[in-house]
Amino acid sequence: MPATTESNQGSFLGRISIRRNQVMSMDGSHDQELEDLELFQKHVGDRFSELPADDLLSIAWLRRLLDEFLCCEAEFKAVVLMGRDPSHLAKPPLDRLLPDLLDRVVKSLDVCNAVTLGLDALKNLQRLAEIAVVALHHSPLGDGQVRRAKKALAALLAAMLHEDATAKATERSRSFGRRQGTATAKASPRSFSCTMARNWSASKQIHAMLSNLAAPRGNESSGLAQPVYVMGSVLVFVMWALVAAVPCQERNGLGTHFPLPRQVGWAQPMVSLQEKIAEEWKKKEKKGTVGLLDEIQRMEKLGHSLVEFADSFQFPAEADRLEEVKKQVQELSDICTRMQDGLEPLQLQIREVFHRIVRSRNEFLVVLDQAGKLSTPPL
Amino acid sequence: MESLPLETAEKIILRWDSTASEEAREKMIFTGEHREDADLYLQAVDEIQRSLSSVAVSEKVNSAIQIAMARLEDEFRNILISHTNNASFDPTTEEESHHHPHHHQDPPSSSSSPMHPHNADDGEEVDKTSLLLRFDSDGAASSAASSYRSISSIREVDLLPSDAVYDLRCIAERMVSSGYLRECIQVYGSVRKSSVDASFRKLGVEKLSIGDVQRLEWEQLENKIRRWIRAAKVCVRTIFASEKKLCEQIFDGVGTAIDDACFMETVKGPAIQLFNFAEAISISRRSPEKLFKILDLHDALTDLMPDIDVVFDSKSSESIRVQAAEILSRLGEAARGILSEFENAVLREPSRVPVPGGTIHPLTRYVMNYISLISDYKVTLNELIVSKPSTGSRYSGDPGIPDMDLGEFEDKTPLDVHLIWIIVILQFNLDGKSKHYKDASLAHLFVMNNVHYIVQKVRGSPELREMIGDDYLKKLTGKFRQAATSYQRATWVRVLYCLRDEGLHVSGGFSSGVSKSALRERFKAFNGMFEEVHRTQAVWLIPDSQLREELRISISEKLIPAYRSFLGRFRSHLESGRHPENYIKYSVEDLEDAVLDFFEGIPVSQHLRRRSE
Repeated sequence: MPATTESNQGSFLGRISIRRNQVMSMDGSHDQELEDLELFQKHVGDRFSELPADDLLSIAWLRRLLDEFLCCEAEFKAVVLMGRDPSHLAKPPLDRLLPDLLDRVVKSLDVCNAVTLGLDALKNLQRLAEIAVVALHHSPLGDGQVRRAKKALAALLAAMLHEDATAKATERSRSFGRRQGTATAKASPRSFSCTMARNWSASKQIHAMLSNLAAPRGNESSGLAQPVYVMGSVLVFVMWALVAAVPCQERNGLGTHFPLPRQVGWAQPMVSLQEKIAEEWKKKEKKGTVGLLDEIQRMEKLGHSLVEFADSFQFPAEADRLEEVKKQVQELSDICTRMQDGLEPLQLQIREVFHRIVRSRNEFLVVLDQAGKLSTPPL
Repeated sequence: MESLPLETAEKIILRWDSTASEEAREKMIFTGEHREDADLYLQAVDEIQRSLSSVAVSEKVNSAIQIAMARLEDEFRNILISHTNNASFDPTTEEESHHHPHHHQDPPSSSSSPMHPHNADDGEEVDKTSLLLRFDSDGAASSAASSYRSISSIREVDLLPSDAVYDLRCIAERMVSSGYLRECIQVYGSVRKSSVDASFRKLGVEKLSIGDVQRLEWEQLENKIRRWIRAAKVCVRTIFASEKKLCEQIFDGVGTAIDDACFMETVKGPAIQLFNFAEAISISRRSPEKLFKILDLHDALTDLMPDIDVVFDSKSSESIRVQAAEILSRLGEAARGILSEFENAVLREPSRVPVPGGTIHPLTRYVMNYISLISDYKVTLNELIVSKPSTGSRYSGDPGIPDMDLGEFEDKTPLDVHLIWIIVILQFNLDGKSKHYKDASLAHLFVMNNVHYIVQKVRGSPELREMIGDDYLKKLTGKFRQAATSYQRATWVRVLYCLRDEGLHVSGGFSSGVSKSALRERFKAFNGMFEEVHRTQAVWLIPDSQLREELRISISEKLIPAYRSFLGRFRSHLESGRHPENYIKYSVEDLEDAVLDFFEGIPVSQHLRRRSE
């Protein structure tokens, strides 16, 4: 058993050698470790069961999801990495499972970037909705305001369709002659969310992340293979949920089947969430969807309803019709407020997730390199 | 100008309602030519707006304002698009060098506007041949940006002619004061963003995912990094800066922070796309060969940061500044990590196959080249490397790591200490490798060769020498000298032992006092040993000619006098006997010649040349 070592600031050697302040007897540490591993899984289950079942995939819900993810990730690192003899991490099956996990981590970085771009696209939708809100708030409601609202709503709905489209980036609209209500949309024919690398596909990325994700069997299921599997599952689930919610490049064919163990405690809350989301996805996929984000779904519904109103509008409108519309406009306004308040923080959170998993990956890589003393270094 | 009567104003607005008549759709109000239409229209809009603030607003007026705003929105878009088609940024220069023939563009169209360099006389030679704004007849990418001068400070260009800017501003004022600022931002952002995207394409700014970057070979990435560095300077200092200027020209003072909002709409996506590449590089797996390009990237970004801070100075653009700073910090971390990786790799380099002939090990060359490059980058690295290496078995308890007393290097920078440490662990590794030689002499030779190489490399570079310091250099010199001595001891003690006096004399009586049989044995032994050493060590190599000479001279200085004296004293005893030539095989000259064969790395024939034949 390596002796306790000093840690030198800034020395990566020092970081690895930090030991917990415990008496490390063989039996004692082993039990402690088992307990930690089990606690980790239990906590995962707890955290996901605490996610509210209603308001699924709203901005607030996604923010909570990411919070829980960060907690899981921190605990995972503590359990697997801290105080660990590096050579443990190089033994089978970890010598295969850890690099797999790190590969998933790298893939999720691109997902984070794609989702961030998608959230920018949503800001665009938000602005169009706000135009409609401002216009329809006007009292008395006249032709002018309704026309304005209709123009914005038409652009909004067109943009939503466009965010769903798998259309490649098209040239800027060269023809200016087609000036109609959707003129605004024409000026931005390229989907905002389609600015990832060419050929990048969110659904393919998720699919790739799912490959090789399998529960450890037999005697592998004790020891570190299990938490690695759990963490991998959590990571992929979170990324998958983000992709389902937020428009990002090429989500066609997003798989809805998840290889999560159904009966196991830690997985059950995730499984039930996953099934709910998958159901929604399947429903919407046929018609084309701009993403399951709750706010956007509602915005879409309201958009359609208000466009209908605008189409049939004649000044002056009947009072009860106006009352109805007022309610819807208020709802739309609330959604815009939620987006105004929530989109930026969500983007910041995703960025934090990005940072955190980059950092963790680095730490793992250092330890793995340390452990792989026997492998030929890259000289 | 007199204000228009309201009715007249309404008529004008309605006349230009594009949803109402074909004619209204086909003609534009703001064409850059007849100003009267435009001025009149604006007047009409102003009149309508004025009447909105009166107590009783008619439904007609209500409707008219929306028609006017819709029209103005279209006009706004049209002005932007018709000029954007002509003025997307196309960076090419006239290349002074003969090596890169320049592809000439079409001459500028008549609507071109001259470039206004920010500081025309900052003494850079680049001014005349620096970026020229090229104009294409349509927005499609014409020539590839073959090469362009590096921009070293912010240089905005006027993206639109000033009368277009004026018109846009007039329109924007009306739209914003009527509460239509969102529409304005929407239109502006989408058109200008497309233009920036087109400029990016022409610059060759690629969209690569992090996965793409991980998969590419490092050599390809080096090229891309080089291109990125050049492109990023143009993007930040000219493209983004010019867009910002345009926003200010149009929107400054119009509403609150509209110019910021429009600017961010325009550049946020492209900026993120630009920085994502640098970020992907900063995340890539660390391996030693990446260090210097990563430092290049780090330096370029450091150089750009002040301009990034200036261009993205608003609150809404904070995230971009933050991301750039994060990337910079990550690049620094990556550099530190790579240096650690490198040190580890040097320590652990496991090859056991001994280098034939005891010559310079590839590891030695690699490491010395590497630290020589490090010395080239010392300015940046001195800023990044802030802690000294944790060294020595005392600290790590690992006998596989050499000791180094940091106390000797109190006044050296951490980077310097790292370099010394690298040399220490290189030697440690080499010492380990030397043990794989079966022949102890060769082991010493190997150490001597390699440490000498290190010394030469350090001496040959003023930076390295200054960083390593003469004290440590002295230590290294001492080490290879000692290796030379150890070599000589290992090989020649036993050879010279044959030429010793003791044991040859027999006591007593009338006899000459020298045992002939013993003498014959000695000669035989000497000859045999020498031949073997000669044959073996001719194939050994000392690449440095001066060192080779010195060692040969040193050998000769001990060997030749000893042999000469031995010959002189004892040959006569054998010459009178049978076959003296079997024993006295070599003359002094023969030996002198033979020594010249040593360490050439060339095998010699079985037998020594014998002059005396």
